[in-house]
Amino acid sequence: MSDRLFFLLAVLAYGLSTVHAVLLWRKGFRRDDFVNYLLLLLGFTAHTVAVFQRGYLYNQCPVYNIYEATTFFTWFSVLAILVIGLWPRFRFLGAFAAPLLFAVGVFALMPWLDPPHGPKPEYSGGLRSLHAAVTLLAYGAFGLSCAAALMLVTQESNLKRHRLNALLSLLPPIARLEIAVRQLLFTGLVLLTVGLGSGLLYLAQNRASYPVGPDVKVIWSVLVWGGYLFLQFAHWRGWVRGRRLALAVIAAFGFVLLTFWGTNLLSPLHNPPPPPPAQS
Amino acid sequence: MSVVVIGLSHRTSPVEVREKFAFAEAEIPAAVTELRQRGLAEEAVILSTCNRVELYLATPQPPEQAFPALQHFLVTHHAYPDPVHDHLYQLAEPQSVEHLFKVACGLDSMVLGETEILGQLKQAYNLALQHKLTGARLNKAFQRAFHVAKHVRTTTNIQRGSISVASVAVELAERIFDTLAGHPVMIIGAGDTSEKTARALQSRGADRLVVTNRTREKAEALARELGGQAIGFDEWESEFARIDIAISSTSAPGYVIERTRLEALMKVRRHRPLLLIDIAVPRDVDPAVNGLDNVYLYNVDDLQGIANEYLQQRREEVARCETIIREKVRGLLAERRPAA
Repeated sequence: MSDRLFFLLAVLAYGLSTVHAVLLWRKGFRRDDFVNYLLLLLGFTAHTVAVFQRGYLYNQCPVYNIYEATTFFTWFSVLAILVIGLWPRFRFLGAFAAPLLFAVGVFALMPWLDPPHGPKPEYSGGLRSLHAAVTLLAYGAFGLSCAAALMLVTQESNLKRHRLNALLSLLPPIARLEIAVRQLLFTGLVLLTVGLGSGLLYLAQNRASYPVGPDVKVIWSVLVWGGYLFLQFAHWRGWVRGRRLALAVIAAFGFVLLTFWGTNLLSPLHNPPPPPPAQS
Repeated sequence: MSVVVIGLSHRTSPVEVREKFAFAEAEIPAAVTELRQRGLAEEAVILSTCNRVELYLATPQPPEQAFPALQHFLVTHHAYPDPVHDHLYQLAEPQSVEHLFKVACGLDSMVLGETEILGQLKQAYNLALQHKLTGARLNKAFQRAFHVAKHVRTTTNIQRGSISVASVAVELAERIFDTLAGHPVMIIGAGDTSEKTARALQSRGADRLVVTNRTREKAEALARELGGQAIGFDEWESEFARIDIAISSTSAPGYVIERTRLEALMKVRRHRPLLLIDIAVPRDVDPAVNGLDNVYLYNVDDLQGIANEYLQQRREEVARCETIIREKVRGLLAERRPAA
């Protein structure tokens, strides 16, 4: 079986998890959280095989094209969800993240996002690999922060509207969720800083190979980094807390999801022209 | 020999009658000895609580003969002068065992699903065991009752949720703050319900209490009792930056906490979450404050509403519990029958 087929199985499992998450939501997240966890675990198993098969094929971290980058960062996200989910109160994180995983997974499966490439990856060199891997891990952390923020908004709404579900649901307390959102946000920000820093360093070392001038992806990345930095600062200063922080985190990640691949495709830096054919 | 029950409870008689039939712990062994001497029981466990007095007996007599004699015993033992027919209930197998299981599960309690009765039942059984008042019949029945109670507790929602205003408030606080330790509580107005709520919060880890009242002496008295700190009524606003939970129960005719006032205080608090429990009638807290970010306001109706919903859920679980109990009773009685 090919790695893409394994990834398809993983996406199907995330789809089932999404359907189950809707049922859980309708029941007020009161029970059966373990079923959703198992579905994600099932998907993760297939996902792991897909990532490792592709990785062993090129003998490197598989982040050569958009398909590989997506499978890698979602794989990391599911791993983090499963680890965090070992704590029963946070087991529903998976139910909140499943729709995102499913949507991103379906998108990644589009055939044109996985063009064939030669046996030797063009992404070589430590800094370039570090840039790609760490940046994608950062977006994974922001995705998890978004899932925790969705949990916070749900629980906050239940409490504000005096619904019994606020007490019956197995979601963590507001304060604990806010800490989770903040910590995941911070982790994402640190990773993104390292990712962007290593990218800039790589660019400085290989200036001659890339087009000169402003690049849409670089501008976008700096904007995203600045936005997340501002969010972190605003929370630290007490300007945005609780629901506002959660909504800002959801909006920020929504923006990332909607614009990441578009800016990637428009970026000359991330789509360098093919090298001229060698003269015989 | 079969297991029978005779007794009275909050369902059949008022406290004035129940108290007349109560057994002190010290007199139970003598009472059972008397039952044995009269040939009414070979084994006995007497459960005497504020809500029920029940005799669980393994009697060698047919139940229809045993019951009048047992009734006579109860009346003469307590020298009760009035007719007791309306107050006493008497159950033979299988209803007697079913009743025992229901009592153990809290299904027959005044507060449906409460667990205190299980402890009292265990205490009564242990006392009987110590004095060698039980035998094979009652030992098996009681041990099975404790097992069934545990099973019902874990497989149904009969004990889930808080059904008092104070415990709902605690549960809400835990849904906002995770742990109550390190989250100071302010009591505005030294009322009875606010004291109960404060005690419930303390029992779950709240370690700092501030009490304020228009009458300083009352605040000091309550603060002393709760191990908290009393402050003047004009100082509560300045304390607000430090506290995370406020319980208000003053007799003020208007709002003590208004939206505009609290909005300014929330900035000082850097928008940390704040739980406001308003148990005053007329209300102390402007309902509009619930619209502020990170402020969670619950008044007495909200709390009572949640408690009632919990109670309703417990009631809905009764049928499930009874099915389990009937099945377990059948199992117990089948074990006794000799194999064909």
